[in-house]
Amino acid sequence: MNKTDSILDELASQGALPAAGHSLRFITPLLVALVVCAGATIAVLDDAFPGIATTGAGPILTKWGFSLALVLMAPIALWALGRPGRRTNLSVAILSVPFVLVLGLLAMDLSINSQTSFPGETWQRCLTAMALLSPLAFGGAIIAMRALAPTNLRRAGLVAGLFGGGVAMTAYAPFCPERGMLYMAVFYCLPILIMAGIGWLAGPKLLRW
Amino acid sequence: MAASREGDRKAYRQFLAEASVRIRSMLARKVGAYSELEDVLQECLIALHTKRHTLDPGRPVGPWMYAIANYKLIDHWRKRGRSPLVLDDDADMDVAADTFAGMDVEGLLGALPEAQAEAIRLTHIEGLTNREASDRIGIGHSAMKLRVHRGMLRLKEIVDEQER
Repeated sequence: MNKTDSILDELASQGALPAAGHSLRFITPLLVALVVCAGATIAVLDDAFPGIATTGAGPILTKWGFSLALVLMAPIALWALGRPGRRTNLSVAILSVPFVLVLGLLAMDLSINSQTSFPGETWQRCLTAMALLSPLAFGGAIIAMRALAPTNLRRAGLVAGLFGGGVAMTAYAPFCPERGMLYMAVFYCLPILIMAGIGWLAGPKLLRW
Repeated sequence: MAASREGDRKAYRQFLAEASVRIRSMLARKVGAYSELEDVLQECLIALHTKRHTLDPGRPVGPWMYAIANYKLIDHWRKRGRSPLVLDDDADMDVAADTFAGMDVEGLLGALPEAQAEAIRLTHIEGLTNREASDRIGIGHSAMKLRVHRGMLRLKEIVDEQER
């Protein structure tokens, strides 16, 4: 009996029934990342939803619409990417839709309000929050992916980065007094894309199995 | 695979054996050396087992299995270096004394491209090392190893064909 045959016997003796709880091992790190980021922001910052009385719910709904779309769609793409042999083009491509919508709204906003105050007063706090929270949530997505079997590591890293950025934005947005699509494009979308780029670069190292 | 998941270990053994046949034939087109092929195959089988939870019930097994095998093959190449060709000096030089006994060695070498024949003459007939041979004809060490390796593979094929 050669070594391959003895490996076959050894594996077969362990049975084909997969260990229970692998879905939980995927979902838990994602939820933990979301809760930790939201909890940390609430603990550190005061005055949630500033200006909602004066400007209405429009700005926060726009921000959350964008970020929650990423937070909800990225795990679906990650789930597909973690299952070898699955087609993933569509679930990954659909993640570009929120960005395209933001670009469209930005063009509209710029054509209507040519005198937008930019960059506003709290952009440094916004960037700091994105820089601190995105890697945290990105780490959660990487841990989640390690429970599966991604075979396209760059793509999986990129989507994990989008998830990280999306979670950071979702957590910080209620404390952000700034409005305007230009602000959103530069201080939210751009950091999210940078996080996705880092994920694309680091994916092969972090997700190898 | 469905029966295996119901706890039938015999069916699982059969599934793994069938998977190993299919993956071996896929790898054979991409991996030259036998020992290397077996290493990658074993890695693939272990990966199929440890990641079996990523195969959704009801989905076809083939794409899942080949995606894992392909991933493991690429990972193997990455670990070893980019070239998919193994340059195994020892294996190339370790030719049993009677391998070509009774054969017209010069005739066999005549069937090879001149560069490969010359490389084999220098290393296997004159007894030079790869480095000495590469210095003598003024090419790089790796290029010499490659010529010897490819020449030996070709010679083996020719001998096998003649013996059939």
